[in-house]
Amino acid sequence: MSLKSYAEEIAKCSHCNFCQATCPVFLEDILETHEPRARMELVRKALIEKSIPVSDRLKEIIDRCLLCTCCTQTCPAGVPVHEIIVAAREELYHGKRMNIAMRYILNKVMDDRGVHGVMGKLNALAGKLGMLDEIPTPAPKAFEKRYKGTYTSEGERRARVAYYVGCATNSFNIDTGEDTVMVLRKNGIEVVIPEKLVCCGMPALGEGDLDKARELMGKNIEILSKLDVDAIVVDCTSCGLMLKVEGPKLFTREDPLKEKAEALAAKVWEVTDYLSMMGLTAKPSPLELEFTYHVPCHRWMTKTVKDAPRTLLAQIPGATLVEMENPELCCGAGGGFFMEHRELAGDIRSHKIAEVEATGVKTVITQCPGCRFFINAPLKEHRVRHPVSILADAYR
Amino acid sequence: MKGLAKDLERLLPKERVHTDPEDLITYGNDATYHVCPLGHPDAVVTPETSEQVSRVVRYANEKEIPLVPRGGGTGLSGGCTPTAGGIVIDVKRMRNLVELNRGNLTAEVESGMVTATFQRIVEKEHLFYPPDPQSMKVSTIGGNVSTRAGGPRAVKYGTTGNYVLGLEVVLPDGEVIRTGSKCSKSSVGYDLTHLYTGSEGTLGVITKAILRLVPLPPARRTVLVTCESIEQSGNIVSAVIGSGLVPAMIELISGGAAAAMTSMLPEPYPPGESHLLIEMDGTETEIETLTGKLKDLCTERGALNIRIVEDPKAARAYWEAREKLYGMILMMAKKGIVEDITVPRDRIPDFVRAVKDIGVRLQMNPATGMMVGLGGHAGDGNMHPTIFFLQEANQEREEKAKAAIEEIVKTGLAMGGTISGEHGIGIHKAEFLPLELGRIQIEVMKRIKHAIDPKNIMNPGKIWVNGGTL
Repeated sequence: MSLKSYAEEIAKCSHCNFCQATCPVFLEDILETHEPRARMELVRKALIEKSIPVSDRLKEIIDRCLLCTCCTQTCPAGVPVHEIIVAAREELYHGKRMNIAMRYILNKVMDDRGVHGVMGKLNALAGKLGMLDEIPTPAPKAFEKRYKGTYTSEGERRARVAYYVGCATNSFNIDTGEDTVMVLRKNGIEVVIPEKLVCCGMPALGEGDLDKARELMGKNIEILSKLDVDAIVVDCTSCGLMLKVEGPKLFTREDPLKEKAEALAAKVWEVTDYLSMMGLTAKPSPLELEFTYHVPCHRWMTKTVKDAPRTLLAQIPGATLVEMENPELCCGAGGGFFMEHRELAGDIRSHKIAEVEATGVKTVITQCPGCRFFINAPLKEHRVRHPVSILADAYR
Repeated sequence: MKGLAKDLERLLPKERVHTDPEDLITYGNDATYHVCPLGHPDAVVTPETSEQVSRVVRYANEKEIPLVPRGGGTGLSGGCTPTAGGIVIDVKRMRNLVELNRGNLTAEVESGMVTATFQRIVEKEHLFYPPDPQSMKVSTIGGNVSTRAGGPRAVKYGTTGNYVLGLEVVLPDGEVIRTGSKCSKSSVGYDLTHLYTGSEGTLGVITKAILRLVPLPPARRTVLVTCESIEQSGNIVSAVIGSGLVPAMIELISGGAAAAMTSMLPEPYPPGESHLLIEMDGTETEIETLTGKLKDLCTERGALNIRIVEDPKAARAYWEAREKLYGMILMMAKKGIVEDITVPRDRIPDFVRAVKDIGVRLQMNPATGMMVGLGGHAGDGNMHPTIFFLQEANQEREEKAKAAIEEIVKTGLAMGGTISGEHGIGIHKAEFLPLELGRIQIEVMKRIKHAIDPKNIMNPGKIWVNGGTL
């Protein structure tokens, strides 16, 4: 949607200011200019009514947002704040928010659904930024190069799903992919791993590059909608949010892709959410493990995804969840936000780290690869894993 | 204001001074954005210590620059709107717990402490800070003290004013005083603590507060009573209070409110025109007894449905949805004006009928695009009469709203009520002040204001229509 069409949504803001309580950026900056209520007001004035000029400060305010969706989740009036920020970035930058070198890298990553093709450039850039330690090493061989086709269910087939493998699993977390397939098969679910998929487009949304996001969505829709499957399973809540919620909004009613995107969206599930809905048929063996759970911000993809790992892992005898004080507090990663706003992201993360440490447990679970990487980086003795991998352990 | 930013940057660290146009727009209003005039400050400062506040105040006093203290920016009377420009003093960075005194049941906090954060801190120690303005997840203790804020729990526990034992205040000349004490009683001179409580930033900047705490009730239970009419709800509330039962909260949910909250609830409100959302707290035994008596009383009075919400998570959902009601107002209407008139509890049924009559007499109905609603803290007589513009606001509707509000105000006052139970006067209710206080009382207040703030720099234009000048 164009920014203008959001004017009506912004008008629903009563200025109650409840968004202040959950905006990770505000909670760090403690300046009202850096909170959702102000962002909406400034977007309206500068970009819709054009009654104030577009300044560098305005751009800073619009850029200083994680797109975590916490404000949207909090807003009593249902103002889609994060969508409006995306539309504002489109209006401000027309897809060219980053410099040309960065754009090249990001677009290539999204087209390839992974980093293997850009490691040289990425390392050079990371070296320049002094961030070499912060860039994880990709697996020697991408997930898509190892696994493709159909993996039949163990025992009676209860369902057939397509596994949409996101960039992070494809490049870095091969084990998450393997565990997802294993756990699904164990529970009577046949898994299809489609080829030639591209990135879900969430990073493009962050750039306000809606054309690119639409292009990527279009490619994925064409492949996924041809499959005869009961569900599309993802392991990443951001891919889930994109395919299920944000993606279909990119197309106008007239666009034939709209209907396809919506039909597809109805079938999208995060893997633990799907398993929790289907129920486990394979009984997990006991596992002596204490773990804590960081709920990713992009839990916004469905109402049930945030509790799915809790209910699912409770079925493993011996596995104990030790809740941290604020499981839903943002970790500060925000996709690539942490690279652009290193100090702020680090400050946001410090609260999460303190909460993890206060639990005394060494295993953290979360369904977002961004959170996983960012939370794990400063923690030397901990392992941050996908909840499906804990279940996989209980089946090994 | 020429040179202001430079001056302030000499007084405070540079990053504590904000003068970009974007900052000034942001700090120009509060939750009355759609109702009250917008302000435009010349600068915003975000101090971290009382000493920094004092430096800014001293400077402003010397230069006669208006000062507007600000907490969470959630006010419902426009109290922190910088209508006369000047400097906004945002105290949210001053948010530390100074002392939690378990043995004395008190705490001292900096004024920027968020109310709900404070509640969480004391509840970990099995203590309880009951005042619960519905914006408590954002509002600050400083703002709450300045407006005597309260919420549903006022039925049993009162509002912020009942919990303030002492304050640290930066006076308009920059001097810092500590009023009251952390003792459970004190009889020393004028009670400046409670002069500052509710003073809406017109007498200085509150920088710390000493607050009374109570033991955390071990258990609580939510009961949902559905009524065939709002009159029946009013009668039940009055009967509950009159019978000596003291629930912790009794909220009236009527009109479109119940439907608007449905998506947030585990189970929607049962069919019925009006509902009472009630919470009881205490020991399990006390709650059992209370629930039994409440059930009997509601049944006797013909309630349509009584739902006891056993699951604490489900009960929480009802109350969290209730917190969000103000924020949903523009989903229910094009515009909404929330009033804060409060009546003695024995007059609740009369008031309910009177407000309904006013709506009928002024032809406020879907056909004319307007509606008068009641909803809120019924248990303490504070039912937030609300004017809904179901169609776009225009001059005719604005005039009608004004007439309705005036009639409601006069009706409430005639019943022995008050024009503000918990929001404060700010700019929104200033015009009605003489109706409640009369000329002489206002004169006394203005003399106090003048004695403390002779240059009228502290939040000018609030409480009184023409500011606080003599």
